[in-house]
Amino acid sequence: MSEKHSYVGKNLQRTDVLDKVTGRGKFTADLKFSNMLYGKLIYSTHAHARILNIDTSEAEKLPGIKAIITAKDVPSIRYGLSPARYDENIFCIDTVKFYGDKIGAVCAIDEDTVYEALKLIKVEYEALPAVFTPAEAAAEGAPQIFEEYPRNLNTEIHQHFGDCDKAQEEAYYVRTDRFQGQRTIHGVIEPHCTIAYWEGKRVIVHAAHQSVHYLQHHLARILGMKEGDIRVITPYVGGGFGGKLDVSGLDISAIILSKITGQPVKMAYDLEEVWLNGRGRHGMDMEYTTGVTKEGKILFVKNEIVIDGGAYTGLGIASAYYAGALLTVLYNFDNYKFDAYRYVTNLPPCGAQRGHGQPHPRYAFESHLDHIAEDLGIDPIEIRIINARKSGDVTPNGYELKSYFLKEANELARDASGWKDKKGKMAKGRGIGVGNGGFVSGAGFCQYRTDLPHSIAMIKVYDDGSHAIVYTNAVDIGQGSDTVLRQMAAEGMGYPYDDISIVSHDTDLATLDFGAYASRQTLMAGWAVKRAGEDVKRKILEMAAEMIKVKEDGGYRSGKLMPEELDCREGIVFMKQEPAVKITFAEVARAYFVKNGLLIGRGYYHPGKLGGQHKGAAVGTSPAYSSATQVSEVTVDEETGMVKVLNTWDVHDSGVAINPNLLHGQVHGAFAMGIGETLWEKVMFDEKGKLLNGNYAEYRLPTALDMPPVHSMILDTFEPNGPYGAKEVGEGATTPTLGCVANAVYDATGARVSSLPLTPEKVWRAMKEKREREEK
Amino acid sequence: MYLPNFEYFQPDSIEETCQLLSQFGSKAKLFAGGTDVIIKMKKELLSPEILVSIEKIDQLKKIEYVPGKGVVIGSGVTHNDLVYSELLHEKYLSISEAARQMANNQVRNLGTVGGNIGSAVPSADLPPILIALGATVKITGVKGDRTMDLEDVFIGPGKTVLAQDEIITEVVIPDQKMTGSNYIKFGLRASGALAVVGVAAAVQVENNAIKEARIVLGAVSPTPVRAKKAEEFLKDKKISDELLAGAGVIASGECVPITDIRASAEYRKDMVRVFTRRALRKAIDEGHA
Ligand SMILES: Cc1cc2nc3c(=O)[nH]c(=O)nc-3n(C[C@H](O)[C@H](O)[C@H](O)COP(=O)(O)OP(=O)(O)OC[C@H]3O[C@@H](n4cnc5c(N)ncnc54)[C@H](O)[C@@H]3O)c2cc1C
Repeated sequence: MSEKHSYVGKNLQRTDVLDKVTGRGKFTADLKFSNMLYGKLIYSTHAHARILNIDTSEAEKLPGIKAIITAKDVPSIRYGLSPARYDENIFCIDTVKFYGDKIGAVCAIDEDTVYEALKLIKVEYEALPAVFTPAEAAAEGAPQIFEEYPRNLNTEIHQHFGDCDKAQEEAYYVRTDRFQGQRTIHGVIEPHCTIAYWEGKRVIVHAAHQSVHYLQHHLARILGMKEGDIRVITPYVGGGFGGKLDVSGLDISAIILSKITGQPVKMAYDLEEVWLNGRGRHGMDMEYTTGVTKEGKILFVKNEIVIDGGAYTGLGIASAYYAGALLTVLYNFDNYKFDAYRYVTNLPPCGAQRGHGQPHPRYAFESHLDHIAEDLGIDPIEIRIINARKSGDVTPNGYELKSYFLKEANELARDASGWKDKKGKMAKGRGIGVGNGGFVSGAGFCQYRTDLPHSIAMIKVYDDGSHAIVYTNAVDIGQGSDTVLRQMAAEGMGYPYDDISIVSHDTDLATLDFGAYASRQTLMAGWAVKRAGEDVKRKILEMAAEMIKVKEDGGYRSGKLMPEELDCREGIVFMKQEPAVKITFAEVARAYFVKNGLLIGRGYYHPGKLGGQHKGAAVGTSPAYSSATQVSEVTVDEETGMVKVLNTWDVHDSGVAINPNLLHGQVHGAFAMGIGETLWEKVMFDEKGKLLNGNYAEYRLPTALDMPPVHSMILDTFEPNGPYGAKEVGEGATTPTLGCVANAVYDATGARVSSLPLTPEKVWRAMKEKREREEK
Repeated sequence: MYLPNFEYFQPDSIEETCQLLSQFGSKAKLFAGGTDVIIKMKKELLSPEILVSIEKIDQLKKIEYVPGKGVVIGSGVTHNDLVYSELLHEKYLSISEAARQMANNQVRNLGTVGGNIGSAVPSADLPPILIALGATVKITGVKGDRTMDLEDVFIGPGKTVLAQDEIITEVVIPDQKMTGSNYIKFGLRASGALAVVGVAAAVQVENNAIKEARIVLGAVSPTPVRAKKAEEFLKDKKISDELLAGAGVIASGECVPITDIRASAEYRKDMVRVFTRRALRKAIDEGHA
């Protein structure tokens, strides 16, 4: 036991691995209950229209139909994330706001009958003029989607720090660039599904969701119930990426339909419905003006972002703030002006998606920074190193970086990729590019106003000490939180990893945690389980001190031991000074149980008060910030514009990696998502706002054949605010990719494509236009 | 996405298949791998009351060489059968390769040659290479058989010359004068993407000159089309890069692509230019491989 840790930092087997590879693991859609009914939502077939009449009479006659509900059957309460923007109803009242908006729900004894019924339901509409872009939404005389959002402006942000205008006067060089980010969708493997049934006054909800607590909290508000009367359970979740964090129409409808029928009701999206209601990434128009010194030091950044929000707000308010918040974390400058305008449009609502609000702005700024470097004749990595923030910095918008090693990440990525031998020296059609990113390790504030701790954990030890169970409502959505939390609990207790199981994501059985979003589980739930483990250990050592008899003739010591003289690792309690003096954890635990009853450990985590005072200061606060650098090499077919990514190096500054393999898995997955968004993916609509590509043939996620080798590297760093020195990787790893690949394409072609995705046709066109410019 | 109810027949013979199709008329739909039909039914683009499957007819599942006739591919042969056929590896690897670039493994296990032709989708990957190799098809109906050139089967998107009771039973690749053939599919990602442009080329090379060439373009016209002017241009000319590039330019003027969510007409035309040249070069240099 010479190593510092027994379980932390080890590639221990994933908790869920056998269940998942054998197919034994149950996802929500796999669950069946006796007398279970099947439900579906009724969707609008207009982008913007007044509902004149809904005729369900034919459908109600269908044998097997159990209930059909519309707005008149449910509370007219509005909901969302921030009270000022509660703009969504359970079902549309009066008007529908996008093609796919929810009008009602149907349930029946089987799916076939539900689909039959949907065909028989007749909705009469009076079509209204619709807006599909922020420009249309903002135009003079544009149709109003909501009364409370004049000119359809749903969120306006003005965060100004320092004095940009003064800095602009002093700058050696100033440049402005504009970029466009597209709408994307998460591409979760498991479509959303919810099953609800009632037990007396309580409702049990099984849902594919990222946070059992938030679902419970929001449902309670919407349904006028007590949180304690709603039990939320998430079985295995097949990916979330932000798309399973908002309350869905499935959740609310399943509960109401189950109440009406007295039977369990299962509701699920099909793939196209995931596109319509899954709340992917916002489309953004981004403009950056940056001034630098002759040496490339950034003096100021002006950043204006116009956001297409879709029909409702939900988490989109946070996306808007995140879009500008974290730039100051990466680069060191004092003068910053961030203005954002989020518009509602008659398209599906957007929300959180991996990297929340950040990947597009990162793409834009990293591209912009490369142009500045080029104009000044500075190497792209060099300009990043010059401006990289450092540990101990406090950003102008009030974030404190305890550990921050972006400079080192750039240096390692540069050296590992052979950057110096490649940049500027590659064959025609080949290019290399760099991009930086990073993220929060958990949000500093709860989704709603509260003083609750962010994570609570409990560990229960069996009466004979042979097993322990960790309780937490951290949600393992595939990222592996169950595994790393077991590792940290085992480390904290000094108890074998293999003898610890975990009970998670069940509001009745486990303990409060805000769930899987904002890359928070490792740090926040990690603190709670670590502390719960240490609490058990403290009790064990106290008990052991009474039990261990130190022999007089031992030569080293006599008399009674103090707990501080003991430690416990891997299930053995021993004397620090003389490890041969030992006793098993199990023996001590049993004695404790006989004397005191149940042996439990309790852990608590609250990040404390973080951030500045300005409006919106809460978004972007975090106890710890990761940083990351990626370098990618590409080839571009000069005739077709087809980009192939050949190789990628990712360096992540995530503090101590609790389970390095899981970290690398996150990096690989993040990179796949990142190149998909850079090169292929875009949600498309026709001129009436109808979704065109709600399938994986026309919405092109990358396939295995599109993936390059990914060299994922971890910096050896330690985060003082993280449990065992850990911080995030899950979302941060997506954020550098878009800029990195786009810069490599630029390096290969000399032609900048300023809108995502960089489809072959756009690259082809950019190269063609460049040739035409040069011929002139 | 909901599959409506339907009746399902699985006859043992071609005759019975044609009879059922004739008997039920427009209510019935011929069904092979179903990778096209089922999706269209779910989207309500097709609503047959009866599906007549050829699943049980083993005769349609063979790939064989018949001396004097050529390579005979049954219409029930799946894409993966083409991918793994040793006969094709030996004679026309270009067909196996075209099949290998299609869809994904699951769809390749189900989808058939007959279905790929019968669906008459402009972007289908097999017709270009088959037409380039001069394929004919045997069509069987209640009144008997007829044989025609594959290129004459297509009338427009989703439309063929087949009568309601007729099915394609075999595709025949005649013995070749062509010394090389090749199909290039240009899709927007490495796998599982439909062709934005597909170009097949077959060439007869003699003494470093092209005696004859056949160029077939997919996904850029309502049906697969021959680039006949480009073919004519190449006839009896010495091979050079300029020559092939010239053929590309001519071919790009011989298609009438549309703009859709995958690409613009302008881009597709230019890709026809690029891939015609590349497909010719490959067919010249690498034979049928
Ligand atoms: C995910 C996915 C990816 C795809 N990718 C590709 C691709 O990359 N390239 C490509 O070309 N296609 C692709 N397709 C389309 C389709 O799978 C193929 O066209 C396939 O060859 C159809 O064959 P099938 O046997 O499944 O046809 P079916 O669905 O059974 O039939 C299709 C049509 O052909 C008719 N038909 C079937 N057999 C015959 C016959 N013997 N004689 C006359 N008519 C007949 C049917 O009546 C029907 O009209 C894809 C489909 C999917 C679902």
